[in-house]
Amino acid sequence: MEIAFKTQIPGGGFLIEERLPEEVFTPEDFTEQHRLIAETAEQFMRNEVLPRWEQIERQEPGLTPRLLRQAGELGLLSIDIPERYGGTEMDKVSSTIVVERFAQYASFLASHGAHSVIGTLPIVFFGNEEQKKKYLPRLATGELIAAYCLSEAEAGSDALSIRTRAVLSPDGKHYLLNGEKMWITNAGFADLFIVFAKVDGEKFSCFIVEKGFPGVATGAEEKKLGIKGSSTRTVILEDARVPAENLLGEVGRGHVVAFNILNVGRFRLAAGCIGGAKQALQHAAGYANQRRAFGKTIAQFGLIQEKLAEMATRIYAGECMIYRTAGLIDPLLAEAIPDSPAYGEQVRKAIEEYAVECSIDKVYCSEILDYVADECVQIYGGYGYHQDYPAERAYRDARINRIFEGTSEINRLLITGMLLKRAASGRLGLRAAIEGLFQGSPASGRSTEARSMEERSTEERNTEAASLLGTEKHLVAAVKKTALLVAGVAYQKFADSLADQQEITAAISDIVMEVFAMESALLRAGKMAARSGVQSSPQPIPDSGPQTVDDKTAHVLAMTRLFLHSRMDWVEQRARTVLAGAITGDALRRQLATLQQVTRREAVDTIALRRQIAARIIQKGKYAAG
Amino acid sequence: MKIMVCIKQVPAKDSTLRLTEDSTWIREQDLSYEINEPDAYALEEALRLKEKHGGEVVVCSVGPDRVQQVIREALAKGADRAIHLVADGGSRLDSYPAARLMAEAVRREGFDLICTGLQSDDLGFAQTGVVLAELLGLPHATIIMEVQAEDGRLKVKRELEGGWFQWVQMPLPALLTIQSGINKLRYATLKGIKQAKSKEIRRVIATELGLKAEELAGRQKLHRVYVPVKTKQTEFIDGSPKEAAAKLVEKLQRDARVL
Amino acid sequence: MSDAILAVMEQQEGKLNRMSWEALAAAQRIGDELSKPVEALVLGEGVRAIADEVAASKLACVRLLEDPLLKEYTPDAYCLALREIIAAEKPYLVLLPHTYQVRDFAPKLASGIERSFLSDCIGYRVEDGSLVFTRQLFQGKMNADISFTGDPPYFVSVQAGSFRADQVATGGQPAAVESFSSKIESGKVRTQPLEKFQEAKRTVDLTQAEIIVAAGRGIKEQENLALIQKLADALGAEVGGSRPICDNGWLPMERQIGSSGQTVAPKLYLALGISGAIQHLVGMKGARTIVAVNKDQNAPIFEVADYGIVGNLFDVVPALIEEINKAKGQ
Repeated sequence: MEIAFKTQIPGGGFLIEERLPEEVFTPEDFTEQHRLIAETAEQFMRNEVLPRWEQIERQEPGLTPRLLRQAGELGLLSIDIPERYGGTEMDKVSSTIVVERFAQYASFLASHGAHSVIGTLPIVFFGNEEQKKKYLPRLATGELIAAYCLSEAEAGSDALSIRTRAVLSPDGKHYLLNGEKMWITNAGFADLFIVFAKVDGEKFSCFIVEKGFPGVATGAEEKKLGIKGSSTRTVILEDARVPAENLLGEVGRGHVVAFNILNVGRFRLAAGCIGGAKQALQHAAGYANQRRAFGKTIAQFGLIQEKLAEMATRIYAGECMIYRTAGLIDPLLAEAIPDSPAYGEQVRKAIEEYAVECSIDKVYCSEILDYVADECVQIYGGYGYHQDYPAERAYRDARINRIFEGTSEINRLLITGMLLKRAASGRLGLRAAIEGLFQGSPASGRSTEARSMEERSTEERNTEAASLLGTEKHLVAAVKKTALLVAGVAYQKFADSLADQQEITAAISDIVMEVFAMESALLRAGKMAARSGVQSSPQPIPDSGPQTVDDKTAHVLAMTRLFLHSRMDWVEQRARTVLAGAITGDALRRQLATLQQVTRREAVDTIALRRQIAARIIQKGKYAAG
Repeated sequence: MKIMVCIKQVPAKDSTLRLTEDSTWIREQDLSYEINEPDAYALEEALRLKEKHGGEVVVCSVGPDRVQQVIREALAKGADRAIHLVADGGSRLDSYPAARLMAEAVRREGFDLICTGLQSDDLGFAQTGVVLAELLGLPHATIIMEVQAEDGRLKVKRELEGGWFQWVQMPLPALLTIQSGINKLRYATLKGIKQAKSKEIRRVIATELGLKAEELAGRQKLHRVYVPVKTKQTEFIDGSPKEAAAKLVEKLQRDARVL
Repeated sequence: MSDAILAVMEQQEGKLNRMSWEALAAAQRIGDELSKPVEALVLGEGVRAIADEVAASKLACVRLLEDPLLKEYTPDAYCLALREIIAAEKPYLVLLPHTYQVRDFAPKLASGIERSFLSDCIGYRVEDGSLVFTRQLFQGKMNADISFTGDPPYFVSVQAGSFRADQVATGGQPAAVESFSSKIESGKVRTQPLEKFQEAKRTVDLTQAEIIVAAGRGIKEQENLALIQKLADALGAEVGGSRPICDNGWLPMERQIGSSGQTVAPKLYLALGISGAIQHLVGMKGARTIVAVNKDQNAPIFEVADYGIVGNLFDVVPALIEEINKAKGQ
């Protein structure tokens, strides 16, 4: 991995610090080992899972557990389990790669994730030695299938309001659990349930509950809109007898388990969304290449090309984000020592550090998937509305991602909320950056880009436009400045009651997400260009003279340009919403003028860029930057 | 049993191939590669023989640095070590120079058995294995669908044309070219992938083998590579499946008169 | 020095392989263009009758190479015998049919005398007095023009169907059959051929079928063969398959079409979900009318198809069954 970290990058630091291309992990940094893992996961899906999707969709008894065990034999269930407990113990990049491949069939991905991430990781991170020894080797092979039981009928987003109770028996040997858990993935065949319950109705705690314990039962299969091939049931606990040693972590500390597992779950879900979106794009491109209308394939029409290009570009941005995040978490994970008793705590810290990034990835990538699945249906036209074609299932399967593992709304509140919390506790220099901005000095000590366009001469701008990604670098500096500007204005106005202003909080999060997305896209493009020795921005029009850039780099550069320029329009819109919602009159006029200055940019020919991007998608018949 | 498997890296099956501007080869940039399919079966057969009889499986590949991809894959699947014969434009070599390089590199290893795929999916000469056998003075058999090894002898099932087979016996050491479908390929497990990292890959440069350029020069000259001109004009039938089916039936009745 | 174009005629158990005539046709054409004598070679044991059969063709002579060790094919004996005659007669070009047997010995034969073997050629042209051959690369996706450097003899094998057996020119009178006695030492023959056999009793002879409906990887699952069978029933056709389908055991080996299976030439051939790897094409490109249904418009099967439908076979085939039944009902 060619990653040079000068210092550890703080979670949320992307907002205030400038990063160099060589500091981020990108898919171009995959090692041979990563590629082999991808190949195994891909082959496994292609040979074992995809040919059986119709049976899985019908929930043919025993099929999914059998496939999970087969995945277990290959090591695909235990990337996050230390070797000493029978796992394969690999990095987050590896698990991201596997998730992306498994996402070719969303129902199977859901079963896999419920087991190997949210079902298994609580024991990896928070289990004691006995619990790990007892359960992890069998979870690694798939001999035991796990499920994660947090939600209840009346406790979804508001997870801490669960009603399931646990009471310790008078002899102290076991807990009696009572309650009903809802939306439990894998419930139909799981052997092990990670159950959250309140001890004495007060202290939020976590338990490892075996299916065979007395008083454990499951309800009927839920009839869902999508991911129909995954089992979802209620888990009913009626005086369920759980041995005292099956308490996971400490009494009253269950929320630590719940929320940290959700962070990993969110990150993983984002990777799944990108994998699913790539699959949908492949279907759409394949169909566009074969469907003929008016004497040509529909892929030859501008409006179809526009869709294919936009789908690919958003997927590209999402891909940059998830691998950048994996690359942030991995160096911290590498420091955790599997044999030490503090292992779980070290791993938890690594993940908690980047909770903001995980939330951003989750919201952003699930919305990319929805967009891509929707356009996939559109490209299929009438056939997109028919169950015999893959677009219909992709569309239904996509929808849940904006809901589970924290809704888009909850996560939008969390993103700004967590950033402010980190700032308040001194872990993130947000305040200094905002103050710097208002005093007109560069936002970051390292930044020279933060000056507004206005101050720069025409000559300067021309040089910038000619240099590689010069204009785009400026756009990233501008979006960061915009984020700080609106956050500063909003905080000045609402201070600690900002959390009550949900619409404003979410709009700030929207801009913050764009900062991460745009910068991730820019840094990856910069890294690729540097490696292929590209010095200046290539012409956006294809077939204009001899090729000086390799095809893939040219494609990535085009997507980066398109993405940054088109997202800036959205950033501006959200910024206006915040400013107009927070301030009025002269103050508003003054800030709007600042905003205008910061975001001033020239128009690029997005039509030409999209045609160029689409040409490669059509030629390859699939996403073509990975 | 000490077994060598020759593996070749070829462009992935679903690749769209484009020519270089001077039409002397395909554009290799932006191309993805994979292990030649029959070679994957040869590797699998070797691994099975090792599991049955013990010994060692060594993979050997000729080509530029990118061939390390298929070498690592073979190591991840269970090969014990590898020999990488570094040669640029390795895929353009005709069979003789590739076989010559391998012969010189492994002559002293004393392999009991060498397995190759029956042919490559890129050049398709179907010669490298047989030439290698000749250079090493080994008996050989081609297009093999079953291998039985006993008491220093091999009994192999050779595929003939038209659904026929023949058993052939020969002494070891020997060379076999393996047909696709002889066995079921295994996956590289993640454990295997991890272990592959520490396995030895010996890099050998042609000049280290004491070979001169003229000894490795092919005896063939490639003039030009081009997309085949269609000899038959295919009439594509458009429309919804129903429309297309109706049109096709009509054409088969009227024009082709085959229904 | 004869400087001849020498066509090696392959026989097994006293029967000439049909492809041998194609190699001979190629030899005659090349010989004409280069003004070189054309000779044929028959080798085996007790194959005089075959040599006489070949002698009816327009040839300078037929060389007959007989030895008890050539009764059963082995690469060692074949190469030893052929090397002797090549050393003695010094042909310019040795032309062979690209059969399984030729693949087994010809690379050894050529490399053993430090000569080059250009296998599986589909055509040639003469450029400035020298031969340039065409062969396929990348499973037929590309063609390449290749010539020899260095000294003759040159070795070339020709792909099935590239030259026409029925274009072999016959001579005014039978060509002379010249026997050549070789001195093969039995100790140098290392492989021992045992019995030949077929996997299963043959119940169908696809080579006699008028209509064949063939399925490839595109059918995805064995169960989907029922759909293919339904189409075959509607057409009164036999069902065949590409190699992967038979390797999976979804169809018996005797229904496999291609270089390792049957070579067929029906009136109508429907290729469903078959991409058209070269190994498959050589087995069916002689069909009179070829229809291909495939998702990928760039699939090589369309190179040989008369009619093509780019689409999902699971949509097209049911529609086709309906239309055929309708047409038959009329």
